[in-house]
Amino acid sequence: MRNFILFIRRFFNLILFLGLEIVCIVLIARTNNMQGNDVMSSANTVVGLMYQKQNDVVYYFGLRRMNDSLINENAFLRQRLAKYNMYDTLKDSAVHQVVQQKDSSHVVKYADYTYRTAKVVNNSVSAANNYVTINRGSADGIGKGMAVISGSGIVGKVEHVSAHFASVLSVLSVKQKVSAKIKDGTTGYVEWEGNRPDVLLMKDIPQQVKVKKGDSIYTTSYSFFPQDVLIGTVYEIALIKKNSLLLLRLRPSTNFRNLQYVYVVENKMLGERQQLEDSVKAKK
Amino acid sequence: MSTFVKNLLRFCIIMALQVLILNKITLRWWSQPAGFPVFIPYVYPLFLLLLPFEVPVWGLLIIGFLTGLTMDSFANTAGIHACATVLVAYLRTNVLNALMPKNLSEYPNQSPGVKNMGWMPFLVYSSFLILLHHTVYFSIELWSFVNIGYLLLKIIASTLTSMLFIVAYLLLFTRQVNARS
Repeated sequence: MRNFILFIRRFFNLILFLGLEIVCIVLIARTNNMQGNDVMSSANTVVGLMYQKQNDVVYYFGLRRMNDSLINENAFLRQRLAKYNMYDTLKDSAVHQVVQQKDSSHVVKYADYTYRTAKVVNNSVSAANNYVTINRGSADGIGKGMAVISGSGIVGKVEHVSAHFASVLSVLSVKQKVSAKIKDGTTGYVEWEGNRPDVLLMKDIPQQVKVKKGDSIYTTSYSFFPQDVLIGTVYEIALIKKNSLLLLRLRPSTNFRNLQYVYVVENKMLGERQQLEDSVKAKK
Repeated sequence: MSTFVKNLLRFCIIMALQVLILNKITLRWWSQPAGFPVFIPYVYPLFLLLLPFEVPVWGLLIIGFLTGLTMDSFANTAGIHACATVLVAYLRTNVLNALMPKNLSEYPNQSPGVKNMGWMPFLVYSSFLILLHHTVYFSIELWSFVNIGYLLLKIIASTLTSMLFIVAYLLLFTRQVNARS
């Protein structure tokens, strides 16, 4: 027994060192399977508050840029609104065309999305998995897995939630892929290489698909994002010789360097859909 | 000022500097044409390097672990920073023993610094441990050696920039100590 105590005393530092490293490795491994603990993230109240205070100061430097982006978004939304308010020249009045019909006699039924605005209080572009912290949490109805978009395109997915803050795993992350489609409907995945915040990749596109530089890439209805949100535009098309498939390089439409306001999108039908899909998987 | 209060203050200052300012400037020297990695200088391990000589290894380990966890909560990287700082804390005493002419117990109430170590030994001491920290951190963060060149470039560029900031910190704060004594 005495020898054992002596042994412990002699190697106490080494044992403590190894113990702490094991704790760290367990923590890292636990966050990697997407079920991280919320306490040790920027959704944590104390950390969130500090970022909020910092953002209150830095906020003013970006006002001008933000105004521009809001004006652009307004213009875009007005343009879309114009499609719904077609002018009837015979009756000399604006006719409201209802495109979305929800009664059960029609087949078309649209998923219900709720948009909530949120302010970005912290954001990064330099890590291998980048996070955006926003000032809305479970008290405002934000839940894990909701999609986050900005006025100009996609941003990411909510991963940690506290009462008043949430941290969002951005598209600039090596552990997240987003289902995407080209103009003609070919679908694929958009992912990030992990180094440059202004380049996204779309791999494994068949050669016969017609893509040009400047084509827009949108989200599909398969993923947690709402359909037809802009992801980016193609700026380079490369042919991979090994498997004769195309590799598209995209410029993301969202500027991740100066995010200020984002929308958190709740898909009210997602729970039901997942339940159905899971039950199908379980049967197999 | 007691050593404890002094170190607590230093912790707050260095952490605030790291989290609120350095984490926001993502340096990308010639990023666009050359595909140079975007990186952040991590200066906060300097706090561990400047702890007094007489702190025992187990104390260093626990302080290092807590420092890493604090940084992890800010950067959303559960455990990666802690992993690197614990290693730095563990090796600190050995590196100091190798660099200092006398036994460490013969420096009561002193902290490693330019004043009692000289510029060259201190730079060797800090750059070695910072390089170690960055190597561990970026290796775990990328979690693959497929882009080994990219990884090395990121480590070296980050270490150099971190050292630049550390030298600036030393220049600022050692002069103050001289003027007071």
